Amino acid sequence: MKISLNWLKEYVDIGDMPVVELVNSLTMSGLEVEDYVDQKEIYKDFIVGFVKEKNKHPNADRLSLCTVSNGKEDLQVICGAPNVDKGQKIIFAPVGAVIPKGNFQLKKAKIRGVESCGMICSEDELELGDDHDGIMVLDDSLIEGTPLCDALNLNDVIMEIAITPNRPDALSHIGVARDVCALLGKELKIPEVKISESLGEASKFAAVEIEDVENCPRYSAKIIKDVQIKKSPAWLEDKLKNIGLRPINNIVDITNFVMHETGQPLHAFDLNKLAKQKIIVKSTDEETKFTTLDSKERTLPKNTLMICDGEKPVAVAGIMGGENSEINENTKDILIESAYFNPSSIRRTAKVLQLSTDASYRFERGTNPNITDFAAERAANLISELSGGTIIDGILDNYPKKIEPQNIIIRYSRVTKLLGYDIDKEKIKNVLNSLELKIVSEDNDNLTVSIPTFRPDIEREVDVIEEIARINGFENIPTISKISITLDKKTDETTFAELLRTTANGLGFYEMINNPLQNKETASVIGTPVFVKNPQSLDMECLRTSLIPGALKVVSQNIKYGEKDLQLFEIGNVFNKLSDKKISSVDDFTEKGKLIFILTGKSSKKQWFAKEKGYDFYNLKGMLNSFERKISLDNVLNDSYNNIESNFYDYFIQKNYKETQIGEGGKLNKDLLKQFDIAQDVYLFEYDLELLKSIIPDKKYYIEPLKFPKIYRDFAFIFDKEIDFETVRDFINKKSSDLLKSIRLFDLFEHESLGRNKKSLAFAMEYYSNKRTLTEEEVEKDFRSLITAVTNKFGAQLRGN
Amino acid sequence: MLQEKIEQIKEDFSKEISNIDNDKQLEELRVKYFSKNGLIASLFGLLKDASKEEKPQLGKVLNTLRSGLQNQFNVVKEQVSKDGSSKSIDVDLTLPGIERNIGSKHILTQTLDEIKSIFKGMGFSVSEGPELESDYNNFEALNFPPDHPARDMQDTFFISDDFVLRTHTSPVQIRLMQAQKPPVRAIMPGRVYRNEAVSSRSYCMFHQVEGLYVDTDVTFAELKGTLASFAKQFYGDNLKFRFRPSFFPFTEPSAEMDITCFICKGDGCKICKHSGWLEILGCGMVDPNVFDNVGYDNEKYTGYAFGMGIERIAMLKYGITDIRVFFENDYRFLKQF
Repeated sequence: MKISLNWLKEYVDIGDMPVVELVNSLTMSGLEVEDYVDQKEIYKDFIVGFVKEKNKHPNADRLSLCTVSNGKEDLQVICGAPNVDKGQKIIFAPVGAVIPKGNFQLKKAKIRGVESCGMICSEDELELGDDHDGIMVLDDSLIEGTPLCDALNLNDVIMEIAITPNRPDALSHIGVARDVCALLGKELKIPEVKISESLGEASKFAAVEIEDVENCPRYSAKIIKDVQIKKSPAWLEDKLKNIGLRPINNIVDITNFVMHETGQPLHAFDLNKLAKQKIIVKSTDEETKFTTLDSKERTLPKNTLMICDGEKPVAVAGIMGGENSEINENTKDILIESAYFNPSSIRRTAKVLQLSTDASYRFERGTNPNITDFAAERAANLISELSGGTIIDGILDNYPKKIEPQNIIIRYSRVTKLLGYDIDKEKIKNVLNSLELKIVSEDNDNLTVSIPTFRPDIEREVDVIEEIARINGFENIPTISKISITLDKKTDETTFAELLRTTANGLGFYEMINNPLQNKETASVIGTPVFVKNPQSLDMECLRTSLIPGALKVVSQNIKYGEKDLQLFEIGNVFNKLSDKKISSVDDFTEKGKLIFILTGKSSKKQWFAKEKGYDFYNLKGMLNSFERKISLDNVLNDSYNNIESNFYDYFIQKNYKETQIGEGGKLNKDLLKQFDIAQDVYLFEYDLELLKSIIPDKKYYIEPLKFPKIYRDFAFIFDKEIDFETVRDFINKKSSDLLKSIRLFDLFEHESLGRNKKSLAFAMEYYSNKRTLTEEEVEKDFRSLITAVTNKFGAQLRGN
Repeated sequence: MLQEKIEQIKEDFSKEISNIDNDKQLEELRVKYFSKNGLIASLFGLLKDASKEEKPQLGKVLNTLRSGLQNQFNVVKEQVSKDGSSKSIDVDLTLPGIERNIGSKHILTQTLDEIKSIFKGMGFSVSEGPELESDYNNFEALNFPPDHPARDMQDTFFISDDFVLRTHTSPVQIRLMQAQKPPVRAIMPGRVYRNEAVSSRSYCMFHQVEGLYVDTDVTFAELKGTLASFAKQFYGDNLKFRFRPSFFPFTEPSAEMDITCFICKGDGCKICKHSGWLEILGCGMVDPNVFDNVGYDNEKYTGYAFGMGIERIAMLKYGITDIRVFFENDYRFLKQF
């Protein structure tokens, strides 16, 4: 929200406090000044200029070549605006001036071959308004050479303050001034307004009824007759422009002015357009179509709070007036609405209509129900002053059940308990008084404080303690340097994931983090996606059902960048819908942690010591084995192999723990890769994290290193090609005595010289005992019988014999 | 004549052997003087032309010469072989080494690790919660009433009337407090979602770390001390900080913590929007309504909570100006950290 310093000064005397200090105090008390513009500073280089001559630019039809006087000399200036003309007083930016819009410094320039020594400015360029159709033409009476700040009275500081949702009281100049008073120990100066007797003469001209008291606890109205609708005087227009509002006419401008002064939104109706000169506040009992004053027809659902006249709705309460009762240049008599609405009701309607106005913004945060009369009178006074209208004596003020200030008890001990330090009692009382939190009674330990109705955020003791802390300054709360640590058990639920990450890194994998929001097509490849009700775009309509599509997108994108050899992993959650129903409980969807490994491209580039090699299935399988060993799950998982094509894989492997599958992966098939525009082989594996985590690895015990020598034996057999490695290995294990401790496949060889559909497998075997030194003879015996067994079992032929 | 030659050889040998410092040169010297066709052998060859009388004498001289030079040679040979640095093996050590590729954690994970380790050192546990969260845990239990403008502070992705993609990690506070009695001291990292237009400065999802401490005597002063200690450990000892009042529905009082901009050292720059300060986290004392919602006695217990965005911290720390790079997973980016 924009706050004008000059305007603020009407309510609080800040003396000669430098702006920087004021800004800092406000920020440090919770009204964060995000930015401020010191007009004297940003407009210091601009002056009033006089266009003495205007000629066509010799080389460009649309440009004018002007002679501009800056009061001292005549300068040649090129201007592109269509409305520039001889005899105008204009805003002149000399070379060196910094143009606010775009924040650039003006240099002497040649435009289409002709030199220009400055610039004639538009409103837009100076950020004085939105008009960028042409240059800003100034009043003829201004004298060239006059600094712009003096000529246009630009001597304000405009602060942009971020008001948090709990502070509706600060959404006005008086509201901000109240905090400034509290911070500086000053008196708040509120304009004097005489509040009329209720009803009085006014009741002859109109009547106010509230049907829905729940949502409209108070409705005040003033009537002004014989107004003259016209442009507002400069002081009012300037005030509004400075805080970013567009002046419209004297009546609307005054309602805006009073809202930004007091925080109370006002609406002006054309009294003669109100049927039966009646205001009835009620909630609709059916869906209603209604045209608001922005000329848009809106559909209001049943139970929308509306302002109606004797026949029809005339405004959406607290949000926007209707076209049918809008004031225009012919309006004579007006009714000023100044009401208090239930914040939730306004917010619900504003949400449904997707319409947020300055009024609804304030009402939904909570206005002060006890200033509606003040604001209406204030507006009426100004209107009669500026429009010549006659204020009708009396106020139509319907306030069935008064909202009273509430009392709260504050314990000094609680202030200390919460903030961690003692604040002097007098100091506390001063802060409360300065914020108009009235101390009703007190004793040694407690204060009873009456909370003014402009502070709906203060409902409890803790809210008052915040006020004390805030105005007293958070910087005065000590920063202690010792804390006590409880000795209960500390846990870290991320430990397992960290182990996985570290292990993956050790294997050479880089971690990626993908956006779980995906388009429907991508998310549906593998599961049943959960949809977002209000997605930003169709690209991010669903939650991922698997980590695979996201990973493939990354692979695809990297290949396009020229990064073709990739080793990546990701840990993240995936989501699947379980039923066709709307999601209303945790049984309707799953959210599961997953871990994916993905390999593609070359495992090693051609180098001086090695040949180029691509990743293959055995890289994947081996890395998974290493990974599982590192997390101590190598002996508990079993693999099942599938060399039958599936939807996603040419061939794949499943990892199981007992009967439960905990992961799956393999070589992706071309069709799937094509969907992601990938032309190279990709290998991946996805684990279910929760299942992986749930497996308790076997407890590790120390094994004494072997003290006895090992005996080695090798053999190679020619097998039929379809006999697979694991079958042979398992058979060897079964047939050997327990002296055989390890079998390593050290060669695999296929060649026509071996015969059709034959292959040679060569095994290196280690024999040893933990208890004694083996003899060559016993190993040889074991080995010989093994050769015979393998030969007979597989019809294999021992090589090298 | 022969005598001259002997003297010449002696002199040359002395000179040459004094320059020897490796095996290769030593071998060259050996070949030159002591081999079958070496210089000494060639002198012995001259013997056959000598007269009978001279022969024994000459032979003696030559033998003396040979054994003298041989002795010198042996001494140097021993020195050369003792001196390791002087020994040369025929290998090009400048060839590129054979590297092993070690992957890395994502820079956001690394940043989080650093944050975690600081808080674990201060006695915090680490907890997690789901991303698809109930509206109750994400808002209501945290004192965001329905139809309250505070809900506008966080643009929400709705899944249904009852479920949302969590907009902050604060619902994990609720889960934790529902599950255990005080004391509770934990940080809660995780992914959160906001329905904000994607740009260089904001993304539709990001990561937060939440902190919570509840016990019988937790104060705002302790909150300040704890976070000041964190900031100093994370950003450096010389850092200045400030706490300024703010608003979050689930804390009262609420504050935002700023640290001196470490780009401009507080002078004002583009990164800190010329204020000299960088906002790094939000915090406050747990609102009594939150305690009510989880069944804690709000008279007996007090607590503080805080939350910070990991992306923002990593961007500041590593000079990353576009938040989107975190999620593009460009290999060239991933390999940098």
